[in-house]
Amino acid sequence: MKLRRWYYCARHAFYHPEASAEQPLASSTSAMAPLRECWQHSHSCGGADWRQQEFLVVDTETSALEIASGELLSVGWVVIRDGRILLGSAEHWLLKPQNSVGESATIHTLRDCELDAGLTEAELMRRFLQAAAGRALVFHHAGLDLAFLNRITRRLYGAPLLLPVVDTLQLEKRNLERRNRPLEANALRLANCCKRYNLPLSKAHNALTDALATAELLLAQVSYKGKGVKLRDLIA
Amino acid sequence: MTNAPTLNPELNSIRDFLAECIPFDQLTEAELNRVAAVMEISYHRQGHVFHPQDDGGGLRIMRSGAAELRVDNDQLIDRFGEGVSFNLLGLSQEQPGIRATLIEDSLVYFLPEPEYQKIRQQYRDFDRFFHSQRSRRVRRAARHEPSPSEMMRSVSGLMTKKLLKVSPRDSIQTAAQVMSQGRISSVLVMEGEQLLGIVTDRDLRSRAVAIGVDVSLPIESIMTPNPEAISADDTLFDAILFMTQKGYHHIPVMEQDMVKGIITASDLMLARRDDPVYLVQHIGRQTSVDDLQKMVKPLPDLFVQWVQAGIKSSQVGKILTAVSDAVTSRLIFLAEQELGPAPVPFCWLGFGSQGRGEQLLNADQDNALLIADHLSPADERWFEQLAHRVSDGLNACGYVYCPGKVMATTDEWRQTLRGWKTTVDRWTKSPTADAVMRVSIFFDLRAIHGDASLCRELQAHMLKRASGNTIFLAALAENVLDTPPPLGIFRRFVVERNGEHRDELNLKKRAVIPIVDIVRIHALAHGISEVNTIERLHKLAQTRAMTINDSRNLQDALQVIMQTRIEGQVKHLLAGKPPSNYLNPDELPKLVRKQLRDAFNIVGDAQQAVKLTYRPGL
Repeated sequence: MKLRRWYYCARHAFYHPEASAEQPLASSTSAMAPLRECWQHSHSCGGADWRQQEFLVVDTETSALEIASGELLSVGWVVIRDGRILLGSAEHWLLKPQNSVGESATIHTLRDCELDAGLTEAELMRRFLQAAAGRALVFHHAGLDLAFLNRITRRLYGAPLLLPVVDTLQLEKRNLERRNRPLEANALRLANCCKRYNLPLSKAHNALTDALATAELLLAQVSYKGKGVKLRDLIA
Repeated sequence: MTNAPTLNPELNSIRDFLAECIPFDQLTEAELNRVAAVMEISYHRQGHVFHPQDDGGGLRIMRSGAAELRVDNDQLIDRFGEGVSFNLLGLSQEQPGIRATLIEDSLVYFLPEPEYQKIRQQYRDFDRFFHSQRSRRVRRAARHEPSPSEMMRSVSGLMTKKLLKVSPRDSIQTAAQVMSQGRISSVLVMEGEQLLGIVTDRDLRSRAVAIGVDVSLPIESIMTPNPEAISADDTLFDAILFMTQKGYHHIPVMEQDMVKGIITASDLMLARRDDPVYLVQHIGRQTSVDDLQKMVKPLPDLFVQWVQAGIKSSQVGKILTAVSDAVTSRLIFLAEQELGPAPVPFCWLGFGSQGRGEQLLNADQDNALLIADHLSPADERWFEQLAHRVSDGLNACGYVYCPGKVMATTDEWRQTLRGWKTTVDRWTKSPTADAVMRVSIFFDLRAIHGDASLCRELQAHMLKRASGNTIFLAALAENVLDTPPPLGIFRRFVVERNGEHRDELNLKKRAVIPIVDIVRIHALAHGISEVNTIERLHKLAQTRAMTINDSRNLQDALQVIMQTRIEGQVKHLLAGKPPSNYLNPDELPKLVRKQLRDAFNIVGDAQQAVKLTYRPGL
């Protein structure tokens, strides 16, 4: 219940901009429509069994790891429904960049020429919010991905995403700490987490394969929590 | 999203994984993309159980982890891991109460039942795979082999089917006219359907014209009566070998006691001349052990060549056996040159893989001497010397001495027919572990050189003693059950734990010999005189001693295992190492691992059958 209240409160400020201390960047409420629509579908119920909640597992590729210098290049996502990953729900989108990708192309292998064919931020967010409606978001290392996504939603709609978020990295960290395992270097990297659960590692890396790996990791983590896992056990 | 979603191209790795899984390898890429898009992924911990009634069917594909199938009485049906798929709903119709238990944490791909059925309807091979049991899967794998070499074609495809016949009372001149008109170099002398003899150009020349025989005499006066024939199933290699060894140029080809054709030396010229024939032919011309040694030196290279040319493992075994037979025969001939002619008839026996015609490289020698009964004590020395010369010669040519001393040089393995019969009687009467071991070697015997009728008589005696002897068969069965197939609890291959072959599997010891043992006991129990394992299996099915299905399953399992074995040996040779029977299962392609696993399962089933048949209640 705590969850719901938090999101409702936070969103409330954006439904009624004049009531908020924070000055929204987008003045018109109609500009917020896609985000508000998404919020309307959001009915997270933290006390119910986790299977009753749908998840949108997301990964992004960015041109730099710092929000200040980097920008979003691609987003991949896949849906978990009834405790199963739906492969048909997988989507992968490239974003038209504001600046040249430059040298970071060596890491994410997305080149300028490919990205130029990408979506605009508005097109991307419209699709993303449609997919996110009624679902909890899942990331591995949510802070970074959310920072980039929120910056875009702020720019477009004057508000951050304000959706329930599960972070598989935090879940893993808690698991390891609970078992008093010393955290080795890189122990929380996605690939290393997957290995811990005997999950297959994909050779190729892009936002979608990593989103899928994150989804598989979440299923593994949940099954290790035993029976009767609730959404709030994952979010808290 | 359209009505028919397809997999996001960024997830090609999933499609690639599926494409490696039998029977998804049958689907086109586009179809795989479509199928993958309707799949769902779930994760379950070790101990999780899937029941057929739980979820309305659907096909599950193991992406990682392992599972086992069990039925009502907790009997284990199968164990498998990555890449293997199962449909509990379908399986439960054959095996009530079947369930799948995960024995490792597993990531499972799930194809919903309607989609699964849709693919089955569209793709025949896909459907057939699931329609049938796992044993049939191996069969397909065994049949799926590269097109065989020219040398392995059966003679039926090459023989002349147009037969020219004359009756035995036709005149020599009539026969010659028939041949001239038919522009053919031989004619068959037949009474109705029965083949009485053959007459060739050369016969007309040397037996009639050269000595001025009256050409109005009946042809039967100059024909070669009861000509030796080959079977239509024999290969070109067999035919060439036969001609070379016997010096014939025309051989009738028979099928079920009927003449179906004739094959001539010139027919064979049409076929490519391959190395093994020349090798065998030339071995028979060498005049010293040194020269023989040089002849067989390139065998490993030739072996690699044959295997790479797609010659099947069973044929490679036949070729290598023909080579060692030729070396043995030649060594006997060379010994006779020095020792003088044999004082009494004898037969040189080959055992083990040579006996069965399944020899590979680096086989050791297993042999014995069988001597006619009227051997005088003074002549025993002659045979002892013969044995030593041949055995030493074989050793020099790479057929090393048998560590178990199963060689004609050992007094016990050099006996008269009467002596051998007594020995066999003793073995079968009191089947000690040692006797059982000896019999299992001795039962795979073949006449390599000399008087084959001696060998036939001994074999008939052995079969008579053994086939009805349940105590002896039970003892032999225990031996068969000694080596279970190398599949461990966790569907992993059982490999060596330490030593030189750590993490490796001995295919000969753990898989080939168990099959050979299983088939031998059935053959022995049913008085079947064939010794080649595949031929025994054919015969067992023919005489209804075994179901056609069981016989084929074992043939296919042997084929798969032998093929893996020789391909492994080729790899060793190419890496500059001696060929070994060990291989690391992790280094095999996924498909081969799967086939091996299936083959091992069949061996396990067959062992159980042996247990039930020959050791009931034990």
